[in-house]
Amino acid sequence: MKKKGIEEALRNGRDAFESTESTILCSRRDILRGGIGVGVVASTGGLAMNLASPGTAEGAARKLPTKWDETYDIVVVGSGFAGLAAAAEAAKAGAKILILEKMPVYGGNSIISSGSYVAWTDKYNLREKLGLGNDSPELHIEDTLKGGDYYGDPKLVEIMVKGAPDALNWMIDEGGLKIRQVLSGGGGHSAFRVHISEDSSGAAFCEALKKIGEKYKTTMRLGAKVTWIWRADQEGPVLGVEVEKGKKKQNIAVKKGLVIASGGFGRDIKMRQAYNPSVVPEYNSTNQPGATGEMIRYAQAIGADTIQLNFVQLYPFGEAETGLLDPYQAYATRVGFGPIYVNKLGKRYVSELERRDVCARAQMKMGLKPTYVIMNYKQMVKVGGEKDLETGVAKGRFIKGDTIEELGRKLNIPVPDLVETVNNYNRNMKEGKDPEFNKRINKDMLPLDEGPFFALTAWPAVHFCCGGLRIDVSARVIDIWDKPIPRLFACGEVAGGVMGSNRLNGNAYPSCTVFGRVAGTSAAKEKA
Amino acid sequence: MDWRWIGALAFLLLAGVSESQTPARLTKAQVPSCTRCHKNFVSVLPHKHPLVAGKEITACLSCHVPLHFTKPEPKPFSTTIHRVHVRADVKIHCTGCHTWSPGKSLGLPKQMVSFGKVSKGQMDLIKEIFRSWSGSLYLDALHANRSITCTGCHGNTLPDSGDTVQNDRCLGCHGNIVDLVAKTTPKDHPDRNPHKSHLGEIACTVCHHGHSVSQAYCLGCHTKFIMKIPGGER
Repeated sequence: MKKKGIEEALRNGRDAFESTESTILCSRRDILRGGIGVGVVASTGGLAMNLASPGTAEGAARKLPTKWDETYDIVVVGSGFAGLAAAAEAAKAGAKILILEKMPVYGGNSIISSGSYVAWTDKYNLREKLGLGNDSPELHIEDTLKGGDYYGDPKLVEIMVKGAPDALNWMIDEGGLKIRQVLSGGGGHSAFRVHISEDSSGAAFCEALKKIGEKYKTTMRLGAKVTWIWRADQEGPVLGVEVEKGKKKQNIAVKKGLVIASGGFGRDIKMRQAYNPSVVPEYNSTNQPGATGEMIRYAQAIGADTIQLNFVQLYPFGEAETGLLDPYQAYATRVGFGPIYVNKLGKRYVSELERRDVCARAQMKMGLKPTYVIMNYKQMVKVGGEKDLETGVAKGRFIKGDTIEELGRKLNIPVPDLVETVNNYNRNMKEGKDPEFNKRINKDMLPLDEGPFFALTAWPAVHFCCGGLRIDVSARVIDIWDKPIPRLFACGEVAGGVMGSNRLNGNAYPSCTVFGRVAGTSAAKEKA
Repeated sequence: MDWRWIGALAFLLLAGVSESQTPARLTKAQVPSCTRCHKNFVSVLPHKHPLVAGKEITACLSCHVPLHFTKPEPKPFSTTIHRVHVRADVKIHCTGCHTWSPGKSLGLPKQMVSFGKVSKGQMDLIKEIFRSWSGSLYLDALHANRSITCTGCHGNTLPDSGDTVQNDRCLGCHGNIVDLVAKTTPKDHPDRNPHKSHLGEIACTVCHHGHSVSQAYCLGCHTKFIMKIPGGER
């Protein structure tokens, strides 16, 4: 053990971090005065490794538990695709697993997602069967990297892409997942590779993964929130977690590993703005309420590094008041049929063909909430059926006007301005140009010349956190000194570096399931 | 006479000074007298109740047998006697009737019955929950109105903080899930049925909270839905 004085330790932050004194090197006040954030604490003296956070007295002096209430081989935090896949894979390898889910229902964002899984092939060879052209792992990798503006880590992307078909087949074969015998395209994907569950739900995938896990005796505990990660020092492994259930706190030890699969922080307004100041609180979120980032903070407090937390993906067409992605919002995205986006003043504000992030920032920049998508009957029935229109109107999701004037009045938009916007647009479409926003006009776009007309509200919402904990190819969490933290793994949305600056449609599914499996396998291999 | 007797006697002597004080510990042989508050039972008994001889809770227990607490059936005696004695303004400890000391079995004097070992912490929780049950706006009090006591939902095991009641226990009284779905399908938007949602089969206790305000979990995302729920008032 190195013996170092406090002054020397403070001069050299890294050495201070690496010291493993059996007594406290410096008091918390010393740490704060010295300006270093990382508490240097004992390994054998019973103190836990901590980040000394100003204002929290326990920050620098949390004691390691002297006894553990329970012990498992592996504890998985989170019960979405990533957590379930990790648990199932590790349990199959023989490990005793506990899944902790802080919410009262399992599934996180996964279970409310829309059931689109991207893989370049599958056990049914659907693409060949349906005659939908060519695809390859290389193509999927390139699309993913390009879609993320080449910020994604090619090594991680390769693992996701190459593991995607196998993970899908695994859920079909072992989990009883049923997928439709169709393939869809998706934004940014240059081939048909979007697989859809029979009922278009993420729940179908969750159930399949849960079923595999249960076959290998995983245990899931709902309403159990992790409130700390225990680690003694910067060399040693993660020891366990502190868990809150009801009013009771427990300490659970891990023999092989802790897998963090807790999702993103889209519902953590402070955190998302801290890492990306342009993501103001006025943005809604499409996420479930539990998508807050505390697990990232706890991991940081024991030395974990993060990557690209600023890349917060926005979805421009959430329902304006709630941020919800209901089936009706899909109408807004069918820009090929020629809908227009207008603001409260009745003016268009962006080319409807622009990327999601450009649309979202244009909406936010105006500061006029909400914005509207204007369509007419001819366009609407091309997207959905009559029944959809009826229920959409009944639920108030579609606002209907027989004329543009009536629609304008119902939306409380200045009628002459809206009429002028629509007339200009129709005239420009005939001439095949868009002098205002340079939108590419094509022949499939239908003019807004005949009623009835419909509007739906749209307002940007935080959708996905591309950044997160830094992992390596084995899903091990890397610390701020570039070394893996023993027995700590991360997968899914909480792990960053896969998607780059922007995630393509359907890529979250293979990212979660494949890296879940990787994390589960890695953790199960650890020596207890 | 062992030390516990001496201690208990000394305590009783002290307790005699102030009527509001009640013994915290007592042995099985000791049965606290109800006469410290009730001169006789006539004033507190229902109109047609037969006369009761005796001055202790044991007088009641000879007829009101404290058995079958594993069944979720209404227990009017248990409900009535608990509700009046656990109110915030009635300063009487559980050991006013029950036999208990920290970490030991919670029972009843001269009865071969145990509600399990109860720690000091658990006893604090029981008292807190009992107070809520006796007069809150939550589901616990709504159940108390129908003479459902703790065991009605929790069975014969003492729940820990954070424990939840299993769906089967709820549905044992509230009917099967198919009927429940049919009964609660909204007329205007039939696809907004909280008992048949896109989350699949979830625990009743996700929305229905026994000892805190109940709220439809749907509203966490679908903030514009209008959903009423029993025990939903604060």
